[in-house]
Amino acid sequence: MQLDLSVLLPHADVLWRGAFLSAEVCVLAIVGSTVLGALIAIARTASSRWLRALAYAYVDLFRNVPFLVQLFFLYYGLPEIGIYIDAFTTGVVALSISGGAFASDAIRSGILAIEPGILEAAEVSGLPRRVIFTRIVLPIALRTSVRPLGSVLVNLILTSSILSAITLNELTGTGRIVASDTFRPFEVYAVLLVAYAALTWAVSAGVNLLHRRLNRGMAQDVA
Amino acid sequence: MRYTEFTSYDLILLAQGLGVSVGLFLATSAIGLALGTLWAVARFYRVPVLSQALTLLAELLKNSPVLVQLFLVFFGLPAFARINVTPVEAALITLSLNTAAFVFVIAVSGIEAVGRDQIEAARVFGLTRWQVLRRVVGPQAVAFGIGPLIALLVNQLQVTSLISVIGITDLTKVGNILNLRTLKPFVVWSVVGLLYYGAAKLVAHLGARLETRLRAYNSWRGL
Amino acid sequence: MLTVENVRKVFGAATVLGGVDLAIRPGEVVSVLGTSGSGKSTLIRCINGLERLDGGRITVDGFDVSKPKELAEARKRSGTVFQLFNLYPHMTAVENVMLAPVEVLKRPRLEAEAKAREILASVGLAPRADAYPAQLSGGQRQRVGLARALAMEPRYLLLDEVTSALDPEMTAEVLAILAELAKTGTTMLFVTHEIEFARRISDRIVFLDAGRLLVDLPAAEFFSPAGGLANPRIAQFLSKMHRD
Repeated sequence: MQLDLSVLLPHADVLWRGAFLSAEVCVLAIVGSTVLGALIAIARTASSRWLRALAYAYVDLFRNVPFLVQLFFLYYGLPEIGIYIDAFTTGVVALSISGGAFASDAIRSGILAIEPGILEAAEVSGLPRRVIFTRIVLPIALRTSVRPLGSVLVNLILTSSILSAITLNELTGTGRIVASDTFRPFEVYAVLLVAYAALTWAVSAGVNLLHRRLNRGMAQDVA
Repeated sequence: MRYTEFTSYDLILLAQGLGVSVGLFLATSAIGLALGTLWAVARFYRVPVLSQALTLLAELLKNSPVLVQLFLVFFGLPAFARINVTPVEAALITLSLNTAAFVFVIAVSGIEAVGRDQIEAARVFGLTRWQVLRRVVGPQAVAFGIGPLIALLVNQLQVTSLISVIGITDLTKVGNILNLRTLKPFVVWSVVGLLYYGAAKLVAHLGARLETRLRAYNSWRGL
Repeated sequence: MLTVENVRKVFGAATVLGGVDLAIRPGEVVSVLGTSGSGKSTLIRCINGLERLDGGRITVDGFDVSKPKELAEARKRSGTVFQLFNLYPHMTAVENVMLAPVEVLKRPRLEAEAKAREILASVGLAPRADAYPAQLSGGQRQRVGLARALAMEPRYLLLDEVTSALDPEMTAEVLAILAELAKTGTTMLFVTHEIEFARRISDRIVFLDAGRLLVDLPAAEFFSPAGGLANPRIAQFLSKMHRD
């Protein structure tokens, strides 16, 4: 059988919409992951041992259980306790929780890399703890963790394909539909493969640019 | 009569599912390790065309969703090449290749971590490239890469959950079966999650022990 | 008034401060001299609350630094300048200087910014006010650090070896500014290695040795043979420093 990509053309529209849905999910999820990751990272570097242990348990749990299982847990479990949300929202929540675990690692490294003297200067000038976190710790930590957070985003993009298992018609989900419509699964999935790879490559390049731009003023100094 | 409660037989189901998951994990890890190392060796020998092609393939596999790779092999290959592919065969092929791609990258960075000067010195002493690889570069590259390798394997264990989507009765599929029957998602998915967690921790623990043994073997014990 | 009463600080098995007494009146300029490890920096870190006391009491205008609520008040009245500058790397000089006035003293942003630029101008940094710390020289960074401390209008300025990380040229420029400041009647507590500078601008000099305060004398007396130099440890210290 010959490779015939032209059969996909009439379905290009549908596939684009699927891709767009994937993008929507991922954008929301990276925001959710960063927020959650920042909170967990703060908890993991807190002075309270109890808080540190709790945060570590969260990260440990969500890194050692398959995402599909986490997804099913939410998708089938939430209706049981009366929470009825659609597949899209469930997907975003699941991705944010899972992504948050990985993001917290990245942000935690960023926090630990801050020179303690800077925090002392902030403390001594009377700045309240909340302000120190929001104006000093997080801005610095996030700037240095842009690259690791970028790889969390790449991971999210790849993981989002699993949302097709809960009938969300993102890119992979629509791919399945188109494959069964055209009877050309090889072409469909081959194109999808390259599309995802190209997308993650573009995101990595973008993240690198962002890293350089954000850290402009903070270039490593020379004596 | 419909059995909506849990029975002791369910424990056997879970054990079987876990067995399938672990079995496929072990098989694909072994093949992936072997394959990925071979790829890295090909690159070490700078085999023309093949090294570049393999690097490109590895990038593609690393940066696209495993689910799409699975669909490509399970649905796409039969349609394209007119061959029959069973779910297990598809899983073996896909996961082995996917693991191999990541092993390739880890092996390459492990090999490159060994200083150029060592390789040059060895060559000047008359060792063939194979001897250099086996005696000088190999052991050090392994010691260097064992950490990331263990982390990779733990991750690949999670990835096996995706084979449930193409119909293999692994631990996740058993979870689906039990969920559908008992309609108790919290219990079912918690148990499934815990089993995966335990398996992951076991792999991590064994890996850590292997790592310390390897490091002890490699460390300089003095004159 | 800044009082230090019988202060003790222990790090593990080492007693870094073993019962130090000191009183600083408003308007005084006091220098703390001593060898490395004598506890000089620890003393400042106890006053601004970065280290907790293991004994004794420190009060700033009556506020006890060991009590959290009073520590906040004490910190409003004192400003610290650090040896390693400790500027916020992601903020410009102006932003560094105006952060605390806006967040702690609740000043309006525009007013705080204008004031910040004024202070930066007074330390000679008007053209570099919008630069990031990474783009400034060591001497310039320390001047920003000074401006940052001054922006809070502190009653007591604590200076912890502020020129030790600078080369001679930058040291001179920072010391010149500090000398000016001393003349304006700002209360200053210096921990420093710059003996000549201390002699020039201090009202009093205090000598710490192995966590104990050996002498507390007016500057002129400290350097006189009958006063400070009568103490063998001090004589030894001064002769060593002069030789370098």
